[in-house]
Amino acid sequence: MSPILECRNLTKKYGGSYALSGLNLTLERGEIIGLLGPNGSGKSSLIKLAAGVLQPTAGEILLSGKAPGAETKRFVSYLPDRSYLGRQMRVSEAVDYYNTFYDNFRPERASGMLDSLEIDRRARLSSLSKGTLEKVQLILVMSRDADLYLLDEPIGGVDPAARDYILQTILTNYNENATVLLSTHLISDIENILDRVLFLRGGQLALNASVDEIRTEYGKSVDTLFREVFKC
Amino acid sequence: MLRKLIKFDLKSGARIFLLLHGILLAVGLSGRLLFMNHLDFSEATPALVSSIVLFASLTLFLLMAVCFCTWLLIAVRFYRNLFTGEGYLTWTLPASAVEHLWAKIISGIIWYTLDCLVVAAVILMLVTGQNVTDAYSVIAPEVTAELGMPLSTFGLYLFIVMIISCFSSVIMTYFCIAVGQLFPAHRVLCAIAAYFISGLIIQAVSMGLMLLLKLFPGINLSILNGEQLAQYMFSAITLSIAIMFAVSAAEYAAVHYIMKKKINLL
Repeated sequence: MSPILECRNLTKKYGGSYALSGLNLTLERGEIIGLLGPNGSGKSSLIKLAAGVLQPTAGEILLSGKAPGAETKRFVSYLPDRSYLGRQMRVSEAVDYYNTFYDNFRPERASGMLDSLEIDRRARLSSLSKGTLEKVQLILVMSRDADLYLLDEPIGGVDPAARDYILQTILTNYNENATVLLSTHLISDIENILDRVLFLRGGQLALNASVDEIRTEYGKSVDTLFREVFKC
Repeated sequence: MLRKLIKFDLKSGARIFLLLHGILLAVGLSGRLLFMNHLDFSEATPALVSSIVLFASLTLFLLMAVCFCTWLLIAVRFYRNLFTGEGYLTWTLPASAVEHLWAKIISGIIWYTLDCLVVAAVILMLVTGQNVTDAYSVIAPEVTAELGMPLSTFGLYLFIVMIISCFSSVIMTYFCIAVGQLFPAHRVLCAIAAYFISGLIIQAVSMGLMLLLKLFPGINLSILNGEQLAQYMFSAITLSIAIMFAVSAAEYAAVHYIMKKKINLL
């Protein structure tokens, strides 16, 4: 079976600067992977390229052996780092939208999570707080039975208590063959759920190691290692 | 998938569209009942003429405003749905770029066609009162002789051209927005610039072709009789439609390429 994500000499250039520069990477199935790096290291660009909302300048990115397209979007569930739902929509309409377009969307799972977070289905998205909107978006993304979840800063805008719920949501809603690739700056919050971490620096891979390897070989937590590697 | 995309696109713009056109129909109906039905054409007084001129100007302004709003609705839906934050959802749906493009083209054409139908209905509503048709019947032979065809036939041709131009107008709007997205910044401004530049080029080419085919409206037009005028109009309209199709085909190819190969949401 092809790896869930493969980058071959992947390059993305914005004007004169490189977001990703000749990145080679292979991700296998069934892992929760932290995509870590300082601002401008290329984390969001890599996720956007995998989601198919950005085109590479050179090289290629393959998802289950296929270039991003209509077919890969069936099994990739993407959470962008911004609000992406029509603001005039109601929560229930957003759920209907996902249910209409994605065969692998599980409305009962979304309902359960909306209930446990006491989110009003009739509320318009424009009336929700930033944190609640992020929760709704994450619920929709995690209510799909996807093979690859791409989560760009899923816990950036929510309070610490909600972070725990969100991380729990991620843990309980992906199957063992699925892969979760999530980018964040809040390393200590997510460290415990990660199987592997990728450090990106200047659009290139600085480290690709399992969390166990980091603990045994470096004798450090991911957070401590990150601070050392990216010390200003 | 295409059907679902069209359905959601129409649904998302339906409220504004229905509101606008509902108001237009209500104003048209009020104009007929409160103004047009009370006109007395038996005496052509200056007051009658000036009130008709004023009413016609206001109606024309209203019709143009509604048409502009419909165009704006189509343009904003395309831009917002594909190239702003909403694009992050749209472009991750399991649909191809071609399906997205055709969904937008079909929904845009549906909006425009409905707009044309409502505009035509309002005009018909205003001019089909007994007093207006009776007054027109007096000058009808003269108008028919001048146009080379009855006014109703002339109006029908204009309506058909308007419906055909819906397609080219939608494609041109999408083309300009898509071209604007190729730039790293000021994308809306670049789309507006693309609109004016492409419009200028199309105008220049059209004028060149009209001169070449001796269809340029000018010096000889005033001495044409009705039949010659009708013939001239048919030739000019045929040329316009041919240019419209050629331009639309080129613009469609460009939008298709941009949406397939050059989507970069920032």
